[in-house]
Amino acid sequence: MVEIVVENLFFKYPEAENYVLKNINLIIKEGESIAILGENGAGKTTLAKNLNGLLKPTQGSVKIDGVDTRNLSVAKIARKIGFVCHNPDHQFFAETVEEEIRFGLRNFGFPENEAERSIREVLKTFGLEDYRFRNPFQLSGGEKKRLAIASIMVWNPELLILDEPTIGMDYAQRLNIQRVLKKLVSEGRSIVVITHDVDFAASLCERAIILSKGEVIGDGCLRKLLSDSEVIEKASLKKPFLIELEEELGFSIMEEDFDEICDFLTRVFPKCHS
Amino acid sequence: MSFLRAFKYKRKDSLMHRLDPRSKFLLSIILMSFSVVFLNAYILLAILIFQIVLLGLSKTLREWVYSLRGLIFFFAIIFITQMLFSGSLFTGFVLSLRLIVLSSSMSWFFLSSTPEDIGRAMSAARIPMELTFSFIMAIRFIPVIYDEFQSIYDAQRSRGLELEKGGFRTKIRNLMPILIPLLVGTIRRTYEIADAMEVRAFGASPKRTSYKPLKFRRGDYFLCLASAILALIIVYLKLFLGLE
Ligand SMILES: Nc1ncnc2c1ncn2[C@@H]1O[C@H](COP(=O)(O)OP(=O)(O)OP(=O)(O)O)[C@@H](O)[C@H]1O
Ligand SMILES: [Mg+2]
Repeated sequence: MVEIVVENLFFKYPEAENYVLKNINLIIKEGESIAILGENGAGKTTLAKNLNGLLKPTQGSVKIDGVDTRNLSVAKIARKIGFVCHNPDHQFFAETVEEEIRFGLRNFGFPENEAERSIREVLKTFGLEDYRFRNPFQLSGGEKKRLAIASIMVWNPELLILDEPTIGMDYAQRLNIQRVLKKLVSEGRSIVVITHDVDFAASLCERAIILSKGEVIGDGCLRKLLSDSEVIEKASLKKPFLIELEEELGFSIMEEDFDEICDFLTRVFPKCHS
Repeated sequence: MSFLRAFKYKRKDSLMHRLDPRSKFLLSIILMSFSVVFLNAYILLAILIFQIVLLGLSKTLREWVYSLRGLIFFFAIIFITQMLFSGSLFTGFVLSLRLIVLSSSMSWFFLSSTPEDIGRAMSAARIPMELTFSFIMAIRFIPVIYDEFQSIYDAQRSRGLELEKGGFRTKIRNLMPILIPLLVGTIRRTYEIADAMEVRAFGASPKRTSYKPLKFRRGDYFLCLASAILALIIVYLKLFLGLE
């Protein structure tokens, strides 16, 4: 169980003049699935790094289970809050995929047999079993991305923050990630996804936090926010396909059927998607 | 690593940025000579003040202060060794001052000249194009590599890496998860840049044209004059007054 409370957060990079985040107030509770959306340079990555203590607020505070991040080490936070950075090349160093995944477990002092079990499980989840002894540097872009997510998910953090997880992934893998993350949420874990892929966000997340120029311009029910044309324009987004479809049809589609319909439509009209 | 920031060029416009890199280089070499030749606190302080004025004129005081923070580690070493071997705090102070003056001369030059300008100056000095280009690329990539280092460090910290932990050997071993991605990334980028340059016909003709040729202005003659006077001052103080 983890709860993050962000109060009056202002942030600017040390040598920069302008604030990148301005007066952010948020509460992230357990079991939430949140999408952070916003234009390029809106401050999404910066906000994520403030949530896991990589960056400390210039003003205001970020509290994790009541403790200010200024008083916590990044490693300590990381045990609870996993952060998958957007560029996998920034984290690979081991000789094999397996070793790469084991790194976090080692840092957190997991016992050997438990580590072994978790590794096997996560390799399976991401379809990387056959790559176990391959060199991470030689994987394809999408495979690297999966490995990066796997190497964080393996220690089962209570909240998982993913920075642009679907970039460069083929459609099947995108669905797979969606499925894996959904399962996490159903198990009571929380996820925060930073993405430009509104369809991915719409079929995964209940809540959206919309950033524009460092300010939160919308926070709440994702479907409601993404039906608001003004918000969409301000944050350089597009309406999710399903919401558009609903507007065309004039009635709302049951949430449970989202994936199926999406899946069906993309199969029938592969070119029409997005 | 933060002292590398001193070499980061930010597009700024000031009196100094508009001057010819050759005259700025000359002046910064002369200023540097002061710190090599003298160990006199008054002289070094005077030069430091002069440098601060120069940095102020190029609107780069902020970056300079930031770069000094990166030298704190070296100051600490200087002070500790001086305390141990000569028992004098004053020597530690003077040696630190020397280090500041030395590094500030270079940072002023790099903070107030574009890498392109430096490249043009090198070409004007008939240094081969390949060499000039490699040099410029190296300068340009210091900040890029610094940013990359920061991103990698962040990624590994998010996976529970703690550099502060453990003894000396653990610390060295813990550096690997940072150094390997940095090295791999840098090597890979080198190849990418080489390809990107080749597809744009780098090296196709032996002489590259420049669309903004270097030109000496009034300010440049002034800097050269100042350099000459300063050089004379060095000679005078050293040879005639015998100052150390
Ligand atoms: N290390 C840094 N130093 C200084 N400024 C930075 C740094 N990193 C980011 N910025 C600036 O902060 C702002 C927000 O950047 P951030 O990376 O958080 O945006 P983002 O919303 O993640 O964008 P994108 O969708 O492109 O990933 C940008 O204007 C960027 O230029
Ligand atoms: Mg980003």
